[in-house]
Amino acid sequence: MKTSKRKLWFIWAAAIVAMVVPGQVLSQTAAVKSSNGSGGSAPQWTVQVEKVDSGHLDLAHSFQLAIYENLLEELNKTKKFKAVLREGDRKASEVPSLLLLKTTVVKYTPGSETRRAVTTVSGATKLTVRTQLLTRGGKIVVDRTVNGNVRFFGSNLRATHNLARNIASAIKKANVATVQASYRDTQPPNLNADGAQ
Amino acid sequence: MNRLFALRNHEAGSIVGQALISLWALSLCCSVGAFAQKPAPTVNANALFRVEVTHLLGLPNTKSNCNGTLSIQDKVLQFQQKGKPGAQVSMASIRNLFLGEESKQVGGLPMKLGKAAAPYGGGRVVSLFAHKKYDTLTLEYVDSDGGVHGAIFQLPKGQGEMLKDELLARGVPWGVSPDSGGDQPTKSTAEVTRENK
Repeated sequence: MKTSKRKLWFIWAAAIVAMVVPGQVLSQTAAVKSSNGSGGSAPQWTVQVEKVDSGHLDLAHSFQLAIYENLLEELNKTKKFKAVLREGDRKASEVPSLLLLKTTVVKYTPGSETRRAVTTVSGATKLTVRTQLLTRGGKIVVDRTVNGNVRFFGSNLRATHNLARNIASAIKKANVATVQASYRDTQPPNLNADGAQ
Repeated sequence: MNRLFALRNHEAGSIVGQALISLWALSLCCSVGAFAQKPAPTVNANALFRVEVTHLLGLPNTKSNCNGTLSIQDKVLQFQQKGKPGAQVSMASIRNLFLGEESKQVGGLPMKLGKAAAPYGGGRVVSLFAHKKYDTLTLEYVDSDGGVHGAIFQLPKGQGEMLKDELLARGVPWGVSPDSGGDQPTKSTAEVTRENK
């Protein structure tokens, strides 16, 4: 009788421990995740996309503007930024935490949709750009060289869409902590990380 | 003496003849020049101009790669899809205009599938002939906040020039490069024309 009571007490205690401990462990992991990750609590930045610089290359204006427009669309999709502004937007002057996105075309191979359809292996449209995310003070936060091609199906302009998607993906993968740290370095001392006075 | 008189008469006749021929040639040149001069295009700024186009990208609240009517009236450029609200761009907000040309495969997805299914590489032979040239019109305009937008339209071959003339007649700047400071209009670089080679 005594042993059965002891057994019951032991099972009851074990059940309580089993219920409480995993909950605490899980909540701890979640807390760690939220403090490390760049999720909801991380400050969001506003990015201003500048027009594409074709450098010394003879890149068609339609391509330059297509890259610019696709880039705005793809950056909006990433949800990494509070707002994505266009070049010349007057609202940019009021935004305290602003990053500038500069894109310079490094290499361009004009392709041909007909050649792609006939030969499969040739006629690819290839674009290589250098993309830089800068602070207002001119400090480079992210610097990547990104490619965008269309090899098989689709029109030549599709290369601009692929390129913009790759740029947005590269920025998304960039370490947000580095961005924050770099940004803090450039801020005046009376501003906090969120940029609020 | 008689001989001398005859000689003088002959010289006078030849001089008159030469003068008449010169006069006739001069009048001919003038008339040819007058014919060669085209009268300046007289466009009524309030007259309605319409053209069927494909919107490739750029206009707000409008799907990419959709067909519609591009119309110009009362200093407003409007793209209208069937049964949908149109997107409007004020003529005064257009900063640049570029014309290019591109060659595309026709037939869309059904044609692509048909070509892929054709035996003995017959699809490739079809691709060789199943392409069509188009004009592309690239507009660069600014919104109310000063943000730069780009819109690209695809038109049937030859209509791009008409639309360009229409827009130019209504005061839209043509291919002004930012480096030129807006004073010297420079012709747009050739768009992708490798298809022709």
